[in-house]
Amino acid sequence: MSANTTTRRSIIVIFCFLPLLFSTVVAQRGESPIKVFGYFQTSLQQWGDFEDRPGSNSFSLQQLNLFFQKDLARNWTAFVNFEVLNNFSSSRQWGALNLEEAWVKYRLNEKFNLKLGLQIPTFNNLNTIKNRTPLLPYIIRPIVYETSFNEFILIEEFVPNRAFAQAYGFFPAGDVKIDYAAYLGNSPNINDDRQQGQTGVDTSASFLVGGRLGLRWKNLKAGISATHEKRNDFRGLSQLINRSTAELVNVPTVRFAGDLSYTFAGFSLEGEFITVRVNDGIPELNLDLDFYYGTFGYHINEQLFAYFSYWATISDFLLDAPQHYLMEKEEILVSNFGLSYDLINRIRLKAQYARVTLTDREQFFPATTLTEKEGKFNVYSLAISVFF
Amino acid sequence: MKVCYIFTFCLLVFANSATAQVAVIANASVPVDEIGKTELGDLYTGDIRNWSDGNPVIVLDLQPKGDVKNTFYKYFGKSTSRMKSIWLKNMLQGEGDPPESIATEDEMLEKVASTPGAIGFISEPKAGESVKILLVIEPDA
Repeated sequence: MSANTTTRRSIIVIFCFLPLLFSTVVAQRGESPIKVFGYFQTSLQQWGDFEDRPGSNSFSLQQLNLFFQKDLARNWTAFVNFEVLNNFSSSRQWGALNLEEAWVKYRLNEKFNLKLGLQIPTFNNLNTIKNRTPLLPYIIRPIVYETSFNEFILIEEFVPNRAFAQAYGFFPAGDVKIDYAAYLGNSPNINDDRQQGQTGVDTSASFLVGGRLGLRWKNLKAGISATHEKRNDFRGLSQLINRSTAELVNVPTVRFAGDLSYTFAGFSLEGEFITVRVNDGIPELNLDLDFYYGTFGYHINEQLFAYFSYWATISDFLLDAPQHYLMEKEEILVSNFGLSYDLINRIRLKAQYARVTLTDREQFFPATTLTEKEGKFNVYSLAISVFF
Repeated sequence: MKVCYIFTFCLLVFANSATAQVAVIANASVPVDEIGKTELGDLYTGDIRNWSDGNPVIVLDLQPKGDVKNTFYKYFGKSTSRMKSIWLKNMLQGEGDPPESIATEDEMLEKVASTPGAIGFISEPKAGESVKILLVIEPDA
């Protein structure tokens, strides 16, 4: 790389970030300023030995989020959220940098809000706040919400991650509040191959449709969520199971979920379940996913919170093809104990111990016997979460 | 001497309960003269952001920890740490800023009196005629 190129790139970077430094200064007079804020979480994790993988100790900047928010008019707000994961470095090809949200919201009143643009849809209690690390006591979040595991767990199979239009609000009924949210987004059929045209766009005519219906009463919050989408990524299996490609197009996939949280006298209880069913109507091909978690916590004092949490992730896959039979059932069970301590208003220290049990049962063609692998290991973590 | 002790004790108990009685105060412009527990909770959690006349609610918090603050938030079933968590959640979801935190009760009175749509809380004896008193919260309420 020439010195000129380096200098030019440095100037471009400086110009890109200048508006951040002077955001409140350059905001037009009479307008509300752009608010810039965010948070990061740095952790030290010790993973125990598992099968042929030796244990490891690693520091990591797990996550950094940078928000830009501007009130455009009395009822209109714009919001942008950039997310940086796992020690992101483009030159070293580490981690990821994602544009997670970019939306504009119109708020008529508490009964009706409309969000347009890229957003995280309302699904259960945790989906919309899964990446807000300062709000959560966990270092490693309940697995399907642990964004930093994106590289090896199919998180987006379990929970919807992107919607583009959402209406939400609540209706009071005495002491009870009835929450609702309804949204539309892309189906999972997103093009990621430049040879096939524009990347990042839905290649089908289908949509993700979803919503949540909930209630709040005093310190109790509960809800049910559901999504429906159509996927085309099973088409490649059509020959293996002697079916036409058309039979594996627009396969309906349904997520159904429930959430509950309750706080009383310093104690807190929360739990969720998620069930994902692929309804292809073809007995030779089946995919079922289930996830549960429950957390019981106690505020020892204003700053210190202790919790016990249990998570279960179960996936069932069947490909009943004449020459390529595959049946796989994988379970990830995690028991956790953790502490979080608010050092000051904006700094939270966290500690977490997780006992992980992985079970994998597989049956391949032509084997007739089931192979079963089970492994257990511990994960010890420390973290600091900073809101700025 | 014994009578003197009893008198002092009673005075302390009375004085303590008097200071812990909290007045919910609002700017004279707000379109209500009283407020209930649910409505108060809705304003402070950010569920409701506008008065019935459509004007925005300006919610104010008291910075110092103490009886006044604890009594106020306990009245609608929340601890101060729970409130901080709700405000942070709202902020990080782009659903609204935390309330402005006012350093002293005198400043709170002044700020509420001078800010249209404002609501705040102070110990009851400090509330003056420059603001509307929407509610008086007893310490054991």
